[in-house]
Amino acid sequence: MKGKKTFKKDFPLYLMALPGVAVLIAFAYIPMAGLILVFKDYNYKGGIFGSPWADPLFKNFEFFFNNMDNALRATRNTVGLNILFFVFGTIFAVAIAIMLSEVKNKHFIKISQSVMFFPYFISWMVMGAILNALLSSEVGVISGALQKIGISFDFYSSPGAWVVILVLVSVWQSTGYNSVIYYGVLSGFDTSIYEAAQVDGASKWQQITKITLPLLRPTITIMFLLSVGNMLKGNLNMMIGLTNLNPMLLEVTDVIDVFVYRSGVQNGDMAFASAVSLYQSIFGFVLVMVSNKLAKMYDSDTSLF
Amino acid sequence: MTKSVSRSDRTLTRIFYGILTVFSLICLLPIILAISGSFSTEIEVATKGYSLLPRGFTLDTYKYVFQSQGATLLSAYRVTLFTTVFGTLLSVTITTCFAYVISVKDFKHANKLAFFAYFTMLFSGGMLPWYLVCTKYYHLNDTLIGLILPYSMNVFYMYLVRNYIKGIPYELTESAKIDGAGYFQIFIKIILPLSKAGIVTIVLFYMLTFWNDFYLPLMLVNKDEYYSMQYILYKMNANIQYLAANPSGMGAAHIVLPTQTIKMAITCIAIGPIALVYPFIQKYFVKGVTVGALKG
Repeated sequence: MKGKKTFKKDFPLYLMALPGVAVLIAFAYIPMAGLILVFKDYNYKGGIFGSPWADPLFKNFEFFFNNMDNALRATRNTVGLNILFFVFGTIFAVAIAIMLSEVKNKHFIKISQSVMFFPYFISWMVMGAILNALLSSEVGVISGALQKIGISFDFYSSPGAWVVILVLVSVWQSTGYNSVIYYGVLSGFDTSIYEAAQVDGASKWQQITKITLPLLRPTITIMFLLSVGNMLKGNLNMMIGLTNLNPMLLEVTDVIDVFVYRSGVQNGDMAFASAVSLYQSIFGFVLVMVSNKLAKMYDSDTSLF
Repeated sequence: MTKSVSRSDRTLTRIFYGILTVFSLICLLPIILAISGSFSTEIEVATKGYSLLPRGFTLDTYKYVFQSQGATLLSAYRVTLFTTVFGTLLSVTITTCFAYVISVKDFKHANKLAFFAYFTMLFSGGMLPWYLVCTKYYHLNDTLIGLILPYSMNVFYMYLVRNYIKGIPYELTESAKIDGAGYFQIFIKIILPLSKAGIVTIVLFYMLTFWNDFYLPLMLVNKDEYYSMQYILYKMNANIQYLAANPSGMGAAHIVLPTQTIKMAITCIAIGPIALVYPFIQKYFVKGVTVGALKG
């Protein structure tokens, strides 16, 4: 009787949670189950769940180990770029946040913060079009300037240059956003420490290096640990938007997601793509768990939620 | 002594002003380039390249774009507008309801549901199974709902709203309950009005997600009638770069090559609405990011 009454009382709650649960099941949990694809001999008619089991069961993994080079290159690109994005993204974001906290003019802070946030609104497709206007060998602003000083350089056939370009674009896009986070943390610091330092005759520069940066270190560490959880996630949109998967640049741009997209979605080669996909899911999960654990150990107040 | 210190401090502040100004300008530069390109004449751009100020001001590019590509662009705008408006409405409803349910303290399944959502952030099946399930079993390819539904429960945004809802004093909902209000009434009359700031934030985040989305069209769309604005840009970039990668131009004869200025005009048309509303909405984003990061 009591159970029935609670159920009636709680009924609106079940109803309100239902759509969210349904979407999560449909687009997160069923695809998780779809990872069994790796044990299947995929054919179009059967789909994931109807295709026969692979024989032997681990056949698809053999492909994976026989084509290790591709998987290794994709992993190297994914992890390498993510680390570079994090390192340079953080340096810029922290520097901008500190500078914002040092200039006291409220209007200036507001305006520059808004302007720097703007790139976050720009899609990768738009960025790609604009990047082409900067780098294209015929009409690009940068290539044109280089030509004027006698250097002719074709960006779209030099993968090495794209390590720098991708990092710069990523910094350009994320600095405003991330600096808002750090600026928020900075504004929460106890001002009396700074006042005491001023009384002792510390210069601004000393205050920044001796007080602000050490105080920011825990936040940066936490951000780093949390970003470790995403190390194996490659940004397909970014690569398609900026380089359009130009074959000449794949040496650098072929991150795991790009690789899975090219082999699985574009070419329908499920055997290999599914093995790479599973590898990304499992190691990604391990990384997230480890990084969350470390973050918690480092600072018991911090967990993502 | 103190005087010299403060002088060096003043220099430092001035340097900071300088750097911040330069970096702010760099953030705007690419957009200025696109706008200036769209107003330049094609010949000038083709011979001298892009520049920050229009080379020979003209409106011809826009006229040409609207005349020749008008129908395509209009259709793409409609698709984008539809997914943005309805996608945001649907997603915010689903997300906010779920966020409320998991913040009800005496609901026995609240924690289980919270974990059910949280787990999807820890582990994911990845693109490939997702793609196969969506196309093969749900048949979401070439449908408008397919461009909306997969994004309608963003767990990050869900937690962002939950943080706002959590800030509402427990006594408030408790006393409403004693007065005989049901959960649904409490949600409508107390929770929604008091977490308005959080809801506004995720409305904007969802709008931005849908407006800029390229992933769902890439995965699910083949027919031109479902092309969104971003997908048009993708096609446009693809043609240009396809040519760049095949200098001989072989096999590219049937592709209508968008000329440089047209490309920039279409880019500006795609950013236009965002640039227009940006000044009015950016403060909510700044606030949302701060709250999301600090409380989260």
